[in-house]
Amino acid sequence: MCNNIKIDGEAVEFVQGDTILQAAERAGKGHLIPRYCYHPGLPIAGTCRMCTVEVEKMPKLMTACSTIATDGMVVNTKSERVLKSRAGVMEFLLTNHPLDCPVCDKAGECELQDNNYRYGPVTSSFLEEKRVYSKAATKKLSPNITLNMNRCVHCERCVRFTEEVVKSCDLMMINRGWHKELTLSDEKLGLTSNYQGCLSDICPVGAHTFNDFRFKKRSWFLEQYPSVCDRCSKGCNISVHSENGVVYRFKPHYNEKVNGHWICDEGRLSYHQVMDATRIVKPLLAHEGSLKSTSWELAGAAVNYLITSASKVKVVIGTDATNEEMKYIQASLPDKFGKKFEFSSYCGYGEDKKLDHMLMMKDKTPNSNGASACKLNHLDGDLVGDCDVAILIRYGRSGVPQVKNCKKIIIIGVWTQKEIGSFGTNVEVVLPGLATTEKSGTYINCDGVSQNFSPAIAHLGEGLAVNSIISFFKK
Amino acid sequence: MATKTVNVSKPYTWSEKIYLLAIVQGLLITLKHFINGFFLRKHNTIMYPEVRREYSDRFRGAHFISIDRNKTENCTACYLCQTVCPAECITIVAGERESAHNPDGVKKEKQPVKFDIDALRCCFCGFCEEACPKDAIKLSGKYEMAITSREEAKYDLVYLKREVKGRG
Amino acid sequence: MTLFDFIQLFAKIAVVLGFALTSVPFLVWFERRGSAWMQGRVGPNRVGPFGLLQSVADVLKLFTKESFIPGHVNKFFYVLAPVIALAAPVGALMVIPFGSHVIVFGQKIVLQIAEIDSGLIFLLAFAGLEVYPVILGGWASHNKYTVLGSLRGSSQMVSYEISMGMSILSMLIIYGTFNLQEMVFWQSEKIFGFIPYWGVVVNPIGALIFFIAIFAETNRLPFDLPEGDSEIVGGYHIEYGAMKFGMFFLAEYVAMVMASALISTMFFGGFGLLPGFASLVEFVGTFTSGSPETVQNIQAVFEFVSLLLKVGFFLFVFVWVRWTLPRFRFDQLMDLGWKILFPLSFVNLIVIILVSHFFVK
Repeated sequence: MCNNIKIDGEAVEFVQGDTILQAAERAGKGHLIPRYCYHPGLPIAGTCRMCTVEVEKMPKLMTACSTIATDGMVVNTKSERVLKSRAGVMEFLLTNHPLDCPVCDKAGECELQDNNYRYGPVTSSFLEEKRVYSKAATKKLSPNITLNMNRCVHCERCVRFTEEVVKSCDLMMINRGWHKELTLSDEKLGLTSNYQGCLSDICPVGAHTFNDFRFKKRSWFLEQYPSVCDRCSKGCNISVHSENGVVYRFKPHYNEKVNGHWICDEGRLSYHQVMDATRIVKPLLAHEGSLKSTSWELAGAAVNYLITSASKVKVVIGTDATNEEMKYIQASLPDKFGKKFEFSSYCGYGEDKKLDHMLMMKDKTPNSNGASACKLNHLDGDLVGDCDVAILIRYGRSGVPQVKNCKKIIIIGVWTQKEIGSFGTNVEVVLPGLATTEKSGTYINCDGVSQNFSPAIAHLGEGLAVNSIISFFKK
Repeated sequence: MATKTVNVSKPYTWSEKIYLLAIVQGLLITLKHFINGFFLRKHNTIMYPEVRREYSDRFRGAHFISIDRNKTENCTACYLCQTVCPAECITIVAGERESAHNPDGVKKEKQPVKFDIDALRCCFCGFCEEACPKDAIKLSGKYEMAITSREEAKYDLVYLKREVKGRG
Repeated sequence: MTLFDFIQLFAKIAVVLGFALTSVPFLVWFERRGSAWMQGRVGPNRVGPFGLLQSVADVLKLFTKESFIPGHVNKFFYVLAPVIALAAPVGALMVIPFGSHVIVFGQKIVLQIAEIDSGLIFLLAFAGLEVYPVILGGWASHNKYTVLGSLRGSSQMVSYEISMGMSILSMLIIYGTFNLQEMVFWQSEKIFGFIPYWGVVVNPIGALIFFIAIFAETNRLPFDLPEGDSEIVGGYHIEYGAMKFGMFFLAEYVAMVMASALISTMFFGGFGLLPGFASLVEFVGTFTSGSPETVQNIQAVFEFVSLLLKVGFFLFVFVWVRWTLPRFRFDQLMDLGWKILFPLSFVNLIVIILVSHFFVK
C-alpha cells in the first residue's frame, strides 16, 4: 500500500491517480515545479511545457502536471536538462511578452515575473520585432474584465475555466501559433458568468485585469489577511487585501469544503459596502429632530433611559451577526436590565436556495443557520411592530426590516445613512458596530459548515464590538 | 611598548610675545587683499542674478516629468518612484488614458491622474530618477526653489510637465 | 560779541559738524565695501553708483521705522543715553583746531570753534562722557543682557582711560601746554630739516599706548566687547530701535572722527602742512596778488586739507584694523589694559619727566 516516488532524492507519498505535480504539491514540494497552464481547480492541459521534469528511465523530459505518478518513480526537478528546458520555455514566452510590468496590475504577483526571476535566461536571443495585437491591445471583455492580449502567454487557463468550471464557454482561442488569439465566443454577449473576477485571479500574467482593481494600487503595497465573505449564506473564504485600513479587493482563499478556488463577482465587489462613504461610524443621538454625533457614554445613557422606561422591548438581530454576537445579546440584555426582551432574527431574503451550479445562494446573509442554532425565531414577514422600543441589530448584509407602531428605535451595527433614513424620525440612538472584515466570530454557512474568522483590517471610525457597546448600557 | 611623550609646542619668542610684529604682518595681508579688491577688482563673489554658478551635470534640482512630442507625459503611473522614495514624498493616483494609442504609436494605457511631489519632504536623492522605467521623472538642474507658501512646495502634474530644455 | 563773531562761529560749527556728520554715511559705506575688498567680496554695490547710496537707504530705513519705546524701560534715561552718546564726541570736536587762522575783511579768525587754553582738559572731559550712554543705556533698558553689556563696556572704557590719560600726560609735559593749537605749532618744526617734529617721533611709546587706548575708548575691534554683535547677543543697546539705535550708531562713527582728529593733532602735527605742501602753497600763491592775507588764507586751506588727509588715513586704519584683528577675550582685554598698558604708560611717563627735567632746557 506504500506508494512512493522520489522527488530530488526524497521519498514522497502519493495517492493513486496523482500526477507528479499533484504528488509534489501534496508533499509541500510544489514550489520546485514551475507551471503556467496547470491550475489545481482546472482540468489538466499540458500546453505550456514549463513543468517539465526529468524522470529516470524516461528518455524525454516529462510534464509533471500530466504524468501520472507510479510507485518507484525517481523525479529530478533540478537537473541541468530541466533547468535548460525551463530557461528555453521562458525565453520563448518572453519573445512576445511586452514586458510592460510597470503598467501591469499583475506586477508583484505575476507568475511570469516570478518564474523568469528564478529560472529564466538573463538575456534574449530574439532580435525581431515583437508581435503586437494592434486591434485588441486593451479590450473590455465585460464591465468587469479588461483583456490585454499582448501580455497573454496562451496558457488557456481562462478558456478552460469558462468551459469546465462555470460552463459558460465565453472564451475561445482562434488561429494558431504566432497568431493565436483569445476572443469572446460571442462578441455581442461578452462574458456572461458571475465569476469573471476569477479570470484575473487564475491568469498567470496580466492579460485579464479586474476593472474594479485596475490601476487602483500596486499589489506589493497590499496586506493580505484571511476572512469570510458575508455576501451570501455560502460563506466563501476570502483574503482581504488592504493598505492602511482601506480595502482594495477581495480575493478567493482556497477552501476545499466551501468554495474551492473561486468566489463570485458579487462577493468580490462587496467590500464597497464595508468601505461605503455613507456608512455610520460614529455614535449618533437624536436631538431636536435630527441625529447628531455624540459620545459613547451619552449614547449609552440614552439607551439606558429608553429601555428602562419602556415596557415592551423587541430585539431584532439580522442573520449577518455572528453566533457569538447573537448569544451575547440574548444573554446580556435581560441580565443587564432585569426585564424581558423579545428576541427574533430576520434575513430579508426569504427561503435559501442555490442560484447556480456553483456558489451563489439566494440568502444574502451569512449566518441564517447560525441564527437557528442560537434558537432565534425568524421574524414574521420582516415586520417589527407593536412595541415601545425596537432594537435593530444588523451588520450591513441582511435587508432592512419594516417597523410599525414602534415609538422608539435603537440601531446597532453597520448601517448607511440611507438605510437609517427609511425609519423616519423614530430613530433615537445609532451605535456603530463592526463589519465582518473588522471583527472575529463564527458563521454557520448554508451547508452547516461552521467557520471561524479573525479581523482582517482595523475598524473604521469609532465602531465597537457588540460586547463593548453593551458595556456602555450602565445598570 | 613604552610611549614617549613629545612636546611639540614651543615657547613664544620675544617678538611673538609682544604681538606687534604679528599685528603688522596681519595688517599687511589685509592691505594686500584690500588693494586687490580696490584697485584690481578681484573678488570671489558671483554676481548672482546676472551671473550664475555652473553646477555639475549631476546636480539634482527641481523635478520634472519628461514629455513626448505630443506633450503627453512619459509617466505611466507605475508607482515605482513612490515605492522607492525614502522620504515618501511622491503621491500618485493612476487612471486609464482615454486614447490608448497615441499618435506616435507608443502605447500608454495607464496615466497618472494625480502626481504630487512634496518638495519639502523630498531629499533629492534621485532614487525616483533611477527607478523610473520610462525615464519620465527626472531631476533638473534648477536649483532656485524658493517659495512663499507651503502649497507651492507641492509640485503637481501641471508644474512637473513643464518644458525643460536639456537639464533645465 | 558782535554779529561778525556770531557769523564766524556758526560758519566754523557748520564746517566741523558738516564734515564730521556727513562723513558718517561715507564711513559706513567704506567700512562695508572695505571689509568686502579685504575678504575677497564685492560689498554693497547696487544702491547708487558704487553702492554709495546704501548708507542713505539705511538711514532712511532707520528714520521711517516705528520709534518704539519698550514698556519696561526707564524712559528718561532710556531717551537720554543716545543723546549723550552723540553729544559727547561732537562736543569734543569743538576744541580740535582745523587750521591756523584765516583773515576775512581784515579780521583774524582762528580756525577752532572753542578757543580755550585748557582745550585738552575740555576734550578729555567730553571724551570721558562717552562711558555714560553705555551705562545709562544698559541700565535704563532693564534687561539683563544690556546690563551685562554695559558693565563690560564701562569697565573696559574706564580701564583704558587711565593708560590714555598717562600718555596724554606725557605729551603735556613735552608740549608744556593744554592748548591744542599751541601743540600743533610746537610740532611744526623739522628735525634735520626733513623729519617732521611730530609727537609720534618724540614719544613713540606714548603714541602707541594712546593709539591702542583710543581703539578701546571708541569700542572698535579688537575692543568691541560692549557691542559684540556676532557672539554675545549685542550689548547695551539691544532694546534700542529705529533712530535711537541710529544715534548710537552715528555716535560710534563721530567718535571715530573725533579720535582720528585727536591723534592727528597730538601726535601727527595736526593741521600742520604735510611734507611738500609748503611749496604747493607758494605755487598757488604765485597765481594771486601775493598779499600776506591771501597767502595766509591759501595756507589755511592747505592746512585744512592736511588735517583731512591725516584724519582720513586714521579712519582707514580704524577700518583696516577692524577687519584684520579678532576680538579679545574679556580677561585678555583686562590683562592688556592693566598689566601691560598701565605699567608701560606709567614707566613712559616717568622717563619723559626725567628726560625733560634733566636734558631739555
